[in-house]
Amino acid sequence: MTIDNLFVALVVGLVILVMLMMIRVFQGPTVYDRLNGLGVIGTDAILVLVLLGFLSGRADMYVDIAISYAILGFISLVVIAKYLEGKGDSDV
Amino acid sequence: MKILAVLFLLAGFFFTAVAAIGVLRFPDFYTRLHASGKGDTLGIALSLIGLAIYEGFSLVSLKLMFIVIFIFLANPIGTHVLARAAFRSGVKPWTKKGE
Amino acid sequence: MNKNADKKTKINGSELLQFIVLTITLFGFWLILSGMMKTKFLIIGFGTSLVTAWFTRSLLRLPSAAGQNEAFLAFHFPYLKYLTYWLWLLGEVVKANIDVVKLVLDPKMPINPQIITFKKPMANPIAHVTLANSITLTPGTVTIDLEDGVYYVHAITDEAARSLVPEEGEGDMPRRVACLFHEQETVARGGEMS
Repeated sequence: MTIDNLFVALVVGLVILVMLMMIRVFQGPTVYDRLNGLGVIGTDAILVLVLLGFLSGRADMYVDIAISYAILGFISLVVIAKYLEGKGDSDV
Repeated sequence: MKILAVLFLLAGFFFTAVAAIGVLRFPDFYTRLHASGKGDTLGIALSLIGLAIYEGFSLVSLKLMFIVIFIFLANPIGTHVLARAAFRSGVKPWTKKGE
Repeated sequence: MNKNADKKTKINGSELLQFIVLTITLFGFWLILSGMMKTKFLIIGFGTSLVTAWFTRSLLRLPSAAGQNEAFLAFHFPYLKYLTYWLWLLGEVVKANIDVVKLVLDPKMPINPQIITFKKPMANPIAHVTLANSITLTPGTVTIDLEDGVYYVHAITDEAARSLVPEEGEGDMPRRVACLFHEQETVARGGEMS
């Protein structure tokens, strides 16, 4: 019971952190700042997924989702960064 | 054992929170990378290790450890790719003199 | 060994060993992901690992960073020494995070960002990857760019810059990585490494 409360508190805290990161994503100022914020959101989302899995008692299922989320997030970050590389920075 | 897991979880959340605050507070892109590249890696790793300790030895904790290893390898690479893209596109670093 | 391979290209390490290690790693990954220990699934997993290891073998033959006709295998490095290196790095990572915490929570934020460069020519691409990753994970430094063995590193404070690139000699970490991959000997003996 108590550890469930801790998990809920951590999920709430992580959601607050994601909200804070959204400020950075919308504010910029460069497109790379936005990407960096999105990367942090992605890593936090992995933890939120695993915590939700522990809360619902189906950790085995949620951990698989977290693994694919981690791999997909990393690959998309690399692809977008490669795409933007050398394109200049239009929105400074 | 539960206490150890709780300690790991709280420490992990602390580092994640510091990473987020650092990304908000630091003055330019490259300094923000310091916060996200280091704080996030250790924060997530500590939290997942805490959850693995709480779970005990099972398939779930093995998968959690796999995520930890993956993040330790992938997060610095992501940071580096972003930094290189910004550097080659001519994002100027903030310096103390230019204040 | 391979008809397509250039005859002049010299490969360090044994391809067969890499094939076996890669198959075992992929099979372990399959076991963790599937978690089912029935014979059918084990056979399917082992077959897929074999096929994947066979088709990726040319991708894992990395051309040398020094530019000679020489290639390195991605899974050919001293595993045990590599593990101890990562354990040492783990301690450094914790130190790095305490540094970042101090900087972030300090209201005055005593930072002095600067970009430093240093040259560390190494032939093995895996050594470059390890060093760049380690620089990013350790106190106050982030690798920005790496071209022809020249590292562009963003350091957040003066101490961080000095610990990586001291006034004389070379830093602790590049020395450790070079020692890990026997780089000095490799360069001296013209790429002779068993």
